[in-house]
Amino acid sequence: MKDFAFFDAQCAIGAPILGNARGGETAAGLLAEMDRNGVDKALVAHANTEAAGAIFANENLLELIQADDVDNRLTGVWTILPAQCDELPPPDEFFARMAANRVGALNLFPVAHRWQACRLTIGRLMDAAAERRIPVFLGQRIMDGGWRGVFDFMREFPAATVIVNGVSLWGADRNIRPLLENFPGCHVELSEYWVPEGIADLARLYGAERLLYGSGYPRFGHGSTMLSIRHSGLPMEQVRQIASQNLERLLTQAQLV
Amino acid sequence: MKKAVWEQPGSLAEAFWKNGIADIPIYDMHGHMGSHNAIYFARCEAPEMVAHLRRIGVRRLVFSHHYSLMGSFRNQRVHAITARFPDILRMYVSISPHQTDFIAEDLDQYDSMAPLAIGFKFLPDYHKVKVTDPRYEPVLNFASERRLPILVHTWGGSQFDGPDVMQEVATRYPQVTFFMAHSFSGDLPGAKRVADACPNVYFELTSLPGQHTIIERLCADIGSHRLLFGTDMPWFDEYQHVGGILSADISEDDKHNILYRNIEKLLGKDW
Repeated sequence: MKDFAFFDAQCAIGAPILGNARGGETAAGLLAEMDRNGVDKALVAHANTEAAGAIFANENLLELIQADDVDNRLTGVWTILPAQCDELPPPDEFFARMAANRVGALNLFPVAHRWQACRLTIGRLMDAAAERRIPVFLGQRIMDGGWRGVFDFMREFPAATVIVNGVSLWGADRNIRPLLENFPGCHVELSEYWVPEGIADLARLYGAERLLYGSGYPRFGHGSTMLSIRHSGLPMEQVRQIASQNLERLLTQAQLV
Repeated sequence: MKKAVWEQPGSLAEAFWKNGIADIPIYDMHGHMGSHNAIYFARCEAPEMVAHLRRIGVRRLVFSHHYSLMGSFRNQRVHAITARFPDILRMYVSISPHQTDFIAEDLDQYDSMAPLAIGFKFLPDYHKVKVTDPRYEPVLNFASERRLPILVHTWGGSQFDGPDVMQEVATRYPQVTFFMAHSFSGDLPGAKRVADACPNVYFELTSLPGQHTIIERLCADIGSHRLLFGTDMPWFDEYQHVGGILSADISEDDKHNILYRNIEKLLGKDW
């Protein structure tokens, strides 16, 4: 698909605690599936972050990527923790390490890692990330209170560049739309957004630049959302934005160093 | 680099990728209609749904209306909606075991709803009544006499419509063709057990296409000749679900079987 690039915003690799990695234990497995489907690049988190913890996951993710990704097609996602426990370095140093290791975005698992996602815990890091426009993944599945936790977080950090993921297969417009309407830095990845003609509706209402292709690998495959974006009914220019250009832009505009 | 699935010359995937439609009919055997308490549906009425279906080349959508399933809408009213789009819509007569008077009336009036009505829909997990409950028996007997299909919502681990009770009822009614909606989602061994025991059972795929490797495993364990395409439309986008079939690592024959061949073998092309 040489005239049509896809950059996957939602992938994970590594061995999950409950097994069932479906070939995603290694970066090689992911890259093979990307090739089979015609996906060019991917933003990749660690599949076992919730159980194994941020410290292990951040390090092991790099090992997994570096073992197989000879063409630099994968960009990492690192997990953040509260600043007060000295588990992560100060923001400037942390971001510099991200840049040095081809890590482009952040995520958080406050319920699994037992901390409160608010200004008191990660205010300094989130303010710095917002100022540098570093994308942060945020999802109802990992926040205390589900969507309420997402809304609370966005109210605390309204300037953040956020990618809302894992929106759930039950149509989530009643939650997605208020976020897109109220927070200009909010984007949505589409791996679980299966609403008929919904991609075109969101693009018309809030702009195609707010939407990102994501596969949800290894829970989901790459191809289904590719086809629904390709035939969303949007002009091809907007389709290309959603398929890859928006994520490229978010990663490029992030000022890690 | 090897060509992607969408670039395989002459394949269904190539056709759908390039044109958004292919020279095959798609039969969507699991649809709904109408608004929903927990989900915003921008396109849940017949005209908007039909427009979406036509874009990708769905030849038939067989649906049960949300309101009739939830007990507040009669099946004759659904028939009137179906009759507005006879070239594409067909209906299941929705059955609620809590409304036995409605069931009797629907069976009496079935002939007036056929041929747009092609069978029945059970939703045991939602109605909280086991599919083996006597209240379903009039419908099962009716379907058995006329050899009509019944689409049953099924789910792994459910006491109402899980593999054990579905195997029991499918064995008891061998003349009924059962479509297992969602293929016992989450319980592939259970689905295989029912498939092995009951030749009158087919497995409908709503919510599964797109889940990594699930279509491959269903084809390997049960066989693509027992699988039927469905989307829960207006829940799920046709392109998303068709994309999940087309991008699965299965044969071209498997994809043809799922999207139209199996149902044409069961019901023919003229219905």
